[in-house]
Amino acid sequence: MTTLTSTPGGAVVRQPAPPATTGHSGTPRQGGTILAVPALVWYAVFMIGPVIAIFVIAALHWPGMLQPVSFAGLGNVRTVLDDPVFWDAVRNTAVQLAVALPVMIVCAYMLGYYVAQKPPGHRVIRYLLFIPGLISTPAKAMVFYAALSPDGLANGALKSVGLGSLTDAWLASPSTALACLIALDVWSGIGFTAVLFAARLDSVPDDLGEAAQLDGAGHWRTMWRIHFPVIRDYAGVVTMLQFLWTLFGSAQHVLLLTQGGPGSSSTTLSFLVYQKAFIAADLGYSQTVGVILFLAGLVGLLTIRRAFRQNY
Amino acid sequence: MKLGKRWLPAHLLVWTYAVLLIVPLYYFLASAFKSNEEIFAHPFALPSSFGFGNFRTAYDSADLGTAVVNSALVTVLALALTLLLALPAAFALARSTSRLASAMEKIFSLGFLIPTFAALFPTFLLAAATGLFHTRLFMVFFLPATAMPLSVVILVQFMRTIPREMEEAARMDGASTYTVLRHIYIPMCLPGIATVLLLNFLTFWNEYLYSLIIIGPDPEQRTVQVALPTLKAITGTDYGVLTAGTVLTLVPVWVVYTVLQKRMQQALVNGAVKA
Repeated sequence: MTTLTSTPGGAVVRQPAPPATTGHSGTPRQGGTILAVPALVWYAVFMIGPVIAIFVIAALHWPGMLQPVSFAGLGNVRTVLDDPVFWDAVRNTAVQLAVALPVMIVCAYMLGYYVAQKPPGHRVIRYLLFIPGLISTPAKAMVFYAALSPDGLANGALKSVGLGSLTDAWLASPSTALACLIALDVWSGIGFTAVLFAARLDSVPDDLGEAAQLDGAGHWRTMWRIHFPVIRDYAGVVTMLQFLWTLFGSAQHVLLLTQGGPGSSSTTLSFLVYQKAFIAADLGYSQTVGVILFLAGLVGLLTIRRAFRQNY
Repeated sequence: MKLGKRWLPAHLLVWTYAVLLIVPLYYFLASAFKSNEEIFAHPFALPSSFGFGNFRTAYDSADLGTAVVNSALVTVLALALTLLLALPAAFALARSTSRLASAMEKIFSLGFLIPTFAALFPTFLLAAATGLFHTRLFMVFFLPATAMPLSVVILVQFMRTIPREMEEAARMDGASTYTVLRHIYIPMCLPGIATVLLLNFLTFWNEYLYSLIIIGPDPEQRTVQVALPTLKAITGTDYGVLTAGTVLTLVPVWVVYTVLQKRMQQALVNGAVKA
């Protein structure tokens, strides 16, 4: 935190170089690089270090905070791969991503396109779309808890329209718990993603769409054939972001809403990392899943990047 | 472009989603003023009276007052530290053309690929090892690190737009590096600083999982996001109190959003896609 005080001393020496050195205009500026070091060190200590530690701990046999630690090599990997709960978590995460991500991106793109056409009321819509981006995870979870608990909003609405037989304990039923979590992802994800798309589409020149319309293309065609290719790599970036948030962020939703249950029906990979570390105290196991999660993230990112690569 | 009749389904779908966004919030706001009986009997009716009883109960039973102070403390200090670290770093990286600097910039922009919440357990170990476990101080130290890539990258972009001549002129007058940063770069990239502050305000204020593990459940220290879910356990199924508590925690963010709407939207959009 002594960043600012360390500068003036070193800087006084650095008088402006004569402008004659045409090729190397950078010479007088280089002294400052040291100013970036505190931020980098800070980042390394609090972020990069812990990430590397995941890989180290994954190779340890560590059955609890105060238990003796021993080297396990790939032993944890074997334990994890033999554990049916892990495979449940893989399946749940795969379902979650496979449903939430396409729905979110497609709906958000269309919504963003809609808003970018500036229909009546688009200002109100824009204001509303930001809401899920503003409220915290616990608050979102409270919203869903109030909506989906046995005497909550959803059941109340069903009863009042005479569909009382369809009511369910949504969050506590093995067949719907995961769906509720996906619904939360989609509900909160669409709005913010749509704003991102709208912002990008705002900067696409209007005449591009107009030209297509003159040629007789409808909005559907304009949206997917004309505009989408233009912002294709942007869509890739947005998809990557949502992929990461869904993959790693689901632990909080699961923790707050279902605790992974009933059974392991809503346990996702990122919740498994949390649960094995802080509830089951099987630290080697937890961090092995962490490594797998990390690798899954990397593979996913590369795949998405490939899929959205500009190809014209 | 003209929006013809065929847009009707689109209008309907969009406004349905808008309703899905607004109804839960309305429900929360309305329920915060109701008793349980009222909520179940007329979930969507306007409250019959605007008493603050639920708010008081929520406030008292979950110690929300202390929690708000804690959250504010952590958020403000972490924001200050973020700027203290990111401003000089961005300043250095924006001006330098050396290989080292561009390597550093690369590291920061690759930092986007490390999800903030990836390393919860090792971070917990770090907190324990430094003796800062169960303190707010560790969060004040930790949060800026998570914000560093985004903050540095945004600030570098703003600082690159400042013409070099400004600095050269100041140097002629004998200005030190510190003076150049303080009197040229900082004033000229205030919009960038505002963006960074707004974005990080949101993430810091809303941070949950790390605060839960590292600061812990002690009512004296916990942040508002950690205190909020405890309402569920304390009040059982008293939805009036639960919703009142939630509304209370949303007020600061909502106020900031409404006052700075334009700027905040810009910040969020820029921040998300600067990767």
